Amino acid sequence: MNLGISAIEFLSQVKDETISVEEFVAKTIDRIKKVEDKVHAYITLDDKNALEQAKVIDKKIRTKEKVGSCLGMPISIKDNICTAGLKTTCASKMLENFIAPYDATVVSKLKAEDAIIIGKTNLDEFAMGSTTEFSYFGPTKNPWNTEYVPGGSSGGSGVSVSTHECIISLGSDTGGSVRSPASFCSVVGLKPTYGLVSRYGLVSYANSIEQIGPIARTVEDVAFILNILSGLDVHDNTTIGKGDTDYTKDLDAGVSGKKIGIITQMTTDGIDKEVASATNKAISKLQGLGAECIPISLDAVEHSVAAYYTIASAEASSNLARYDNLRYGFDFGIEGYEFKAYVSKVRGNFGPEVTRRILLGAFVLSAGYYGKYYLKAQKVRAMIKSQLEVAFKKVDVLITPTMPILPYKIGEKIDDPLTLYLSDINTITANLSGIPAISVPFEISSSGFPIGIQLLANTLQEKKLLQAAYALQQTTHLRAMPI
Amino acid sequence: MVERKEIEHLGDLVKVELKEPEKYVKQVEQILNYFERLDKVEFNSDKTLKNEIQVKTLREDKHVPYEIEGKPLIKSLRKDQNNFIRAPKMI
Repeated sequence: MNLGISAIEFLSQVKDETISVEEFVAKTIDRIKKVEDKVHAYITLDDKNALEQAKVIDKKIRTKEKVGSCLGMPISIKDNICTAGLKTTCASKMLENFIAPYDATVVSKLKAEDAIIIGKTNLDEFAMGSTTEFSYFGPTKNPWNTEYVPGGSSGGSGVSVSTHECIISLGSDTGGSVRSPASFCSVVGLKPTYGLVSRYGLVSYANSIEQIGPIARTVEDVAFILNILSGLDVHDNTTIGKGDTDYTKDLDAGVSGKKIGIITQMTTDGIDKEVASATNKAISKLQGLGAECIPISLDAVEHSVAAYYTIASAEASSNLARYDNLRYGFDFGIEGYEFKAYVSKVRGNFGPEVTRRILLGAFVLSAGYYGKYYLKAQKVRAMIKSQLEVAFKKVDVLITPTMPILPYKIGEKIDDPLTLYLSDINTITANLSGIPAISVPFEISSSGFPIGIQLLANTLQEKKLLQAAYALQQTTHLRAMPI
Repeated sequence: MVERKEIEHLGDLVKVELKEPEKYVKQVEQILNYFERLDKVEFNSDKTLKNEIQVKTLREDKHVPYEIEGKPLIKSLRKDQNNFIRAPKMI
């Protein structure tokens, strides 16, 4: 049985009864058990429940009862998205035993469509990181070479899709956390427009920039799942209605006559040679399909990393103040402690990256520094947004490499936070401005690592974005993941 | 220049016991030095970005009792004693 089929193929094979849901889910669980030692994509597996649900869905199909549109598709969920009755650890010791009392809206929506939540995937602690090395439970490894990082922070999600341990995964993208692992693992990852997908039940890290987004094998699969995930939610006042938009319709509209902007600042300096050549090749392919490609300069991008990390750390510092280990948390008795000493002691168990950001956030918000860092960062954010508005008057979509570099060895950059931060330069623009962006697998480097190409569109232009991504995807013939 | 004293003070404010404060001094300093560039940006507008969304219909403001499997939410929290959460004493 081919576990590497797309979501669309899964649906048609279940419909015409070529495969049963139970068999597919059982084989997927076998696969997980076989490869987890090598890649460590999951923190928690819900195998028993998944198999039981698969049987129920098979029965519904056999007896022609009404079945949700996911038809028992196994989906994994990043472990910072709440799932009732199943642990949500955020890859942190602080939440190692936490079981959420409710489902995130995205999880309820998937369950209502008869998706099977097969397990919770690994991440950098509280989604802070771009390598999935900062997990309390140990790093996730890149299936293309298990000595290398899979990207992050949704590394477990990217790897679970890439290694056929599920069909689709949900990640969260605060500065590229869906697109980076998508690029490093040769899968598709979308960060939707801010507000298009509900954040209710996503453990907060930086509320003004983060979004839940899908990781899948194909652009069609992303469109399919976005139809389910998107839309207004009474539990999240920042959500936006999508009307009757069907993202799967007219995906093959093509790019002929479309204008594509090449962001100068993200395609010239400091990028890996092979990444640069793949980007140029992607541009020529799109030109070959009839798109007009022109350079677009966004000079505010030069300040974006500083602005992004100022804002993200400030919000992280406030959001993480709630973890005092009293109502829930790890086992640590209060006896013999005074309140503040207890809280400081238990919070000393945050990992190094989370601690760094809490300290940085507190620093940039402190008296005397607010105007110098935070306020300026917010102005840079407005500057990026206004430069993008000008750009989108000239072009339909923008193109860049997703990551400026190829995957690197686990541990190689772990003590060099600034270098790690700088590698987010191409992805954070979409978060600071709220626009949608997608990473499409495009090529495999001579050293055997995937290279993803990023496309960006204006606010709520997911349809246009997916059409361009689909056109680009159709030009590629990528070799199979080696594990 | 960030000093160990400052980092320890911040650790105290955010209530995080720092096991290796020296390590954070160097890293936080390096990152803040990089952030310095924000101070040199020339802006032609004082505008900051706001995500303004008009909310036409607010959900009804009513109390919804939250229960898990028939038990009130507080029962699922730990150190629950007669509906109270135990905390260390404040001096």
